[in-house]
Amino acid sequence: MKFHWFAQQYYTKLPPDYGDVNRSSWVTAPINVADPVQVGEDYHMYLRLMQQADGLGWDSLLLNEHHQTSLAMTPSPNLIASILAATTENAAIALCGNSLALYNPPIRVAEEIAMLDCLSGGRIIAGIVFGTPMDTAFSYGVPPIELRERFHEARDLITRAWQAEEPFAFNGKYTQLRYVNTWPRPVQEDIPVWIPGSGSPETWDVVNALDYCYGYLSFSGKQSAEPIVKGFWDYTESQGGNMNPNRMAFTQVICCADTDEEAERQYSEAVKYFYRQNPTAIEFATPPGYNTPASIRSTLNRAKVMSDDERRRATRGELSFWEYDELGYIIAGTPDRVAQRVRELATDLRIGQLITCMHVGNLPEEVAAENNRLFGTEVMPQLRDLWADQEDRWTPKVSQERVAAKFGSGLPQ
Amino acid sequence: MTTLEIPNIGTFDIELLEEGSGAPLLYLHGYERHPGTAGFLTRLAENRRVLAPEQPGYGRSTGFENFTDVIDVALYHRELLESLGVEDVDVVGHSLGGMFAAELAAIAPQLVRRLVLVNPFGIWLDDEPTLDPFGPAAEVKAAKWHGEAPKDEPTNFVPDPDDPHAAILFSAQNLGSATKFMWPIADRGLRRRLPLIDAPTLVVHGTSDGLLPVSYADEFVRLIPNAELALIDAAGHYPMVEQEDEFVSVVSKFLDA
Repeated sequence: MKFHWFAQQYYTKLPPDYGDVNRSSWVTAPINVADPVQVGEDYHMYLRLMQQADGLGWDSLLLNEHHQTSLAMTPSPNLIASILAATTENAAIALCGNSLALYNPPIRVAEEIAMLDCLSGGRIIAGIVFGTPMDTAFSYGVPPIELRERFHEARDLITRAWQAEEPFAFNGKYTQLRYVNTWPRPVQEDIPVWIPGSGSPETWDVVNALDYCYGYLSFSGKQSAEPIVKGFWDYTESQGGNMNPNRMAFTQVICCADTDEEAERQYSEAVKYFYRQNPTAIEFATPPGYNTPASIRSTLNRAKVMSDDERRRATRGELSFWEYDELGYIIAGTPDRVAQRVRELATDLRIGQLITCMHVGNLPEEVAAENNRLFGTEVMPQLRDLWADQEDRWTPKVSQERVAAKFGSGLPQ
Repeated sequence: MTTLEIPNIGTFDIELLEEGSGAPLLYLHGYERHPGTAGFLTRLAENRRVLAPEQPGYGRSTGFENFTDVIDVALYHRELLESLGVEDVDVVGHSLGGMFAAELAAIAPQLVRRLVLVNPFGIWLDDEPTLDPFGPAAEVKAAKWHGEAPKDEPTNFVPDPDDPHAAILFSAQNLGSATKFMWPIADRGLRRRLPLIDAPTLVVHGTSDGLLPVSYADEFVRLIPNAELALIDAAGHYPMVEQEDEFVSVVSKFLDA
């Protein structure tokens, strides 16, 4: 399996009661808690951790896009990606992704991804996302009912722009351009595309029709993700779609230490900070029109895997460290325990692309660096064999070759 | 169910509530939902032919995907009236329906005899930013009503014993369709078209509307060439519900003048 290094680029110095006294850490999150100088230091810490991961054999360094939130200070993941493109060697850079409907005209995304692919020598994974309701409907003002149509129109434009050999005219409903001829074009002829989603059957249809990689990116772990990930595979099988596990990306918080007791001591506070400091106002999470009726219906019909009480306690930082582990929010402990739990997860849910969340909340940099070291040197080598016999067209060839040359491909020598 | 086919544009299957006989009155409902056979509509129908279509994209009415912008909605209403064989019609529009009614009166002035706008959306005042009509549910509910919210708000929703989620889906779909014209700000340029309205116009406004302060009604009256204002006290966004008698009386008086 492949490993994608990730951290929600949290603001690390939130006041202790931030999650209790604020209605929302999104959209209307109070800016007075964030010192821009500290934000700069946080960015540098995340960069150092990603550069370290590149040297430890991660298959990609993954970035996401969010707006107006203390949870992820990456309104432009491409800016961070450009630094990584110039300062890393092996790993791919996974944009996961650019929120297409927010760019006008959306060829801006085609241009920036192409620039990054050139800068990195063909190491870009082009994740494209609808964007959360908070990002799209509220921070960027897109009428929710138009979001999907805008996304798909932009996707069509961008993917054509990458491939076209001649300038072409594009007369869309939302974007009109007489001359589409983006410079540069990507190094990769078929740049890998991922579309993460939150379980809408409409997205599954698109992902399957285009044979893209799907992703379920949550921080709630296996137990709450299972109905959606298994739902995707059942649906894909029923449609005769491609069942290759490398078409599934999944996020997992990892907390590695020399002993289980050490793991609890080192990570417990940061894990609770991570979940507790992220209140999302309900009206920002569920604007009308964002989800289609079919999607709302499938959410309502999906079996509840966790009690409301458990979910509430999880988001308030009230579960014990090992309760978070048991419910799958985190996978914690010694490298052997972590390896065994990840193998179980990835086998059960057919996950070929594991997005490892290696830093959470206000975790000290040295703990995250040790997390990287232990996972990179002791866990990944135990797991590279999983799904290694399956074709992987969803990560760049260049990074596959470079990582395999240094760290092995997981296949028998 | 009435079907309107506009060649080369699309098909609209419309729930059309029709009541009474006499001079025609087109009623366009607000952003939340069609009110169903509400008391005020029945009373207006005592001496008129009330035509109250449910908007495409609401409830069971289809054809929403044929709309690109609010001008398409105005032209759709023009076609709908023509298909019903109605001309020289009185138009009453409430809330988002007020925006649509004003657009129709500006774009097809020959069709509209008299125009009534009830707590209409459609313009924005920088000096008086309004509450987000899609904001926190409890806050919006409190803002809509002068007094306690009624136990049952007027609706054309019909519960489905086989579908426990029907009410949630009904509401999500209706409000989702409203976002096309009201998100993030309910201003699609109507201010530039209000001066083109020929019809004598009455702007009715519940003075306690927490979604639209009275200054918004004043601005409509200022921009429409021949408009007068009727304020209804002790009423919010739904004056026809909270003060039904007064509402029916001022509207009837204006239409009969």
